[in-house]
Amino acid sequence: MKRETDYGHPIKSVYTPKDIENLDYERDLGDPGSYPYTRGYYPDGYRSRVWTRRMTAGLGSSRQTNEVLKRYREMGQKGGMLVICDRTNAMPIDPDHPIGKREAGLLGWPGASLLEFEELMEDIPLTGQSITLLGSCTMSSIRLAYVVALAEKRGVNLHEVHGSVTEYPFCSTFGQTDAQPLDLNIKLWLDSSEYIVRNKIHMRSGILSQHFQESGGNNAQALAVEMAMLKDLCSLLVNERDLDFDDVAFLPYELVSVGSRFFEEIAKIRALRRMWARLAKETFKAKKTKSCQLLISVHTSGRTMTYQQPLNNIARCAIQTLAGAIAGCTAIDNACFDNAHAEPSPLAARMSLNTQHIVSDETGVTDVADPLAGSYFVEYLTNKVEEEAYKIWSKIEEQGGMIAAVQKGFIQEMMRESAQEKHKEVERGDRLIVGVNELVIPPEEDFQIPIQELKAGDSEGIARRMQEWKKTRNIPLVEVKMAKLYGDARKGDRYNLMPSIIEAVKAYATAGEILGVIRKARGLSYDPLGMIDCPFDFR
Amino acid sequence: MGKREKIKVLVSVIGLDGHSIGAEVVCRILMDAGMEVVYLGIYQTPEMIVQAAIQEDVDVIGISSHASNYDQIVHLLGLLKKNNLEDISVICGGTIPQHQMEDLKKKGVSEVFLPQSTSESIVNYIVSRC
Repeated sequence: MKRETDYGHPIKSVYTPKDIENLDYERDLGDPGSYPYTRGYYPDGYRSRVWTRRMTAGLGSSRQTNEVLKRYREMGQKGGMLVICDRTNAMPIDPDHPIGKREAGLLGWPGASLLEFEELMEDIPLTGQSITLLGSCTMSSIRLAYVVALAEKRGVNLHEVHGSVTEYPFCSTFGQTDAQPLDLNIKLWLDSSEYIVRNKIHMRSGILSQHFQESGGNNAQALAVEMAMLKDLCSLLVNERDLDFDDVAFLPYELVSVGSRFFEEIAKIRALRRMWARLAKETFKAKKTKSCQLLISVHTSGRTMTYQQPLNNIARCAIQTLAGAIAGCTAIDNACFDNAHAEPSPLAARMSLNTQHIVSDETGVTDVADPLAGSYFVEYLTNKVEEEAYKIWSKIEEQGGMIAAVQKGFIQEMMRESAQEKHKEVERGDRLIVGVNELVIPPEEDFQIPIQELKAGDSEGIARRMQEWKKTRNIPLVEVKMAKLYGDARKGDRYNLMPSIIEAVKAYATAGEILGVIRKARGLSYDPLGMIDCPFDFR
Repeated sequence: MGKREKIKVLVSVIGLDGHSIGAEVVCRILMDAGMEVVYLGIYQTPEMIVQAAIQEDVDVIGISSHASNYDQIVHLLGLLKKNNLEDISVICGGTIPQHQMEDLKKKGVSEVFLPQSTSESIVNYIVSRC
């Protein structure tokens, strides 16, 4: 068995003060609540606020997903809701698209219109909990428009809504694929981000290393990629959209993938806080202390959830949740024990939420801030992962920054190589996974878990409903809003499309229509898959 | 295998599934085993996969599946049958629950490889089919 960190650094049998002799407490750690925030942002840790304990929802129709959200609330999920979109919506195409008919509602929520968002949120408050919608970058501006439109309809003050419904433009590189070109995704992300910042809306935007790491990247690479993304995207908002960094710094939140290598995961999150604080202060010359505090949430890792002996995943999830909690974070959502089989069943979802409550309420982890600080090993690992990440980040900088590195395929190649190496490590037995290459049992002896999935015909049902409903809209109004959007989308990248997207959403234009029209205005095909024609005539 | 020196495998992700890394790892395994690999990538409709299989004259089609979109795989099997291409083995890999695995096999998928399948098992199976 290999005794190395997941990024290949040898681990010794014992660590002593010599291993951290250059560590300067004030400079490198600081008390919790003090720069550079290695030890967290709050002097009393979780005593002032325990992390938000939440579960991912999204499967089938909007009404079905609404039922799941209400059930999660009964299970104790009160601080925030988290919904992931389906594959049609990630593109986005509408469920009634010829290829959408076979996949609508699979893997997530088919949020193709304001109607779907209204159904999703029925009897669920927009305020008093964080609203998080995940899926792809392209849908970000439309999801933000849903929130703006529904708040207006309900008479809710938009500034009382908080959460995150927008996402970074690189997710399509890391397996969370939408079908839009990178330049369009960057433009739409900048539009939604600028709208949030200028209107002082309390919504974050996910700039996430989770997708990269779940696709095979290692801990040091994940830190480097996260920092490179943060630097490039914040720079664009400051330089191209003329925003003040201290306003921009409120926008990003990071979702860290936490696996089972307990101490390394904790070190990674501690290092990330320090790296962002230094970037904010030294590079961006942040004036506010809050600007030096990156919001960090944890996703316990789907890639570690095994298909074989799925009940073992409950133990993995508990270890990872404890690591995330000790590292210090704002929210945790768990991959469930059935992650390698299907979407979370009610049983698996309850287990995951209960796991978080066992960790928060029974272990004492919420009593003390950053309890592992001062451990020779953990401080050494924190320094080491940071050092390795800085090396990789400087290679990304040599490529011309994150955007250039993605365009050249540098990041993708790094991720691919790392994924291949991880596969080989397991095959060689360098890394042991119980139930996979150790303590294996015949499949017929395996415990059969309940499988949560759609019934045959459910996707078609969602598609048919959309097809029929589209005809009942105020079509002339939709056409007027689409013509406006088309005109605005031809005004160049700096012209912010959020206002016309919000108007289109309020008129119940669909995601496929809105993105199709923006694509057409940019000289692309209306349909990203090239199968259907634009239903609007702009002559 | 009689017709040519190298086994030719088409590897693709199907429909709207965007999870590409598994397919890419498998491509590398097959190439390391001396096979010729045609990798289509993501957003491949069943029609596109069949067309590529004909053009490239492949022995095996490998579909990586991480999005529960089994209807697309079933549709692919139907198209292969319609085009008299049933001699091409279709194998799948990914996060496919037990009962779906059995169902896919009944409908014509020749083998399903689950997460953490060994390189050896995948390579040996393909060699045995060609």
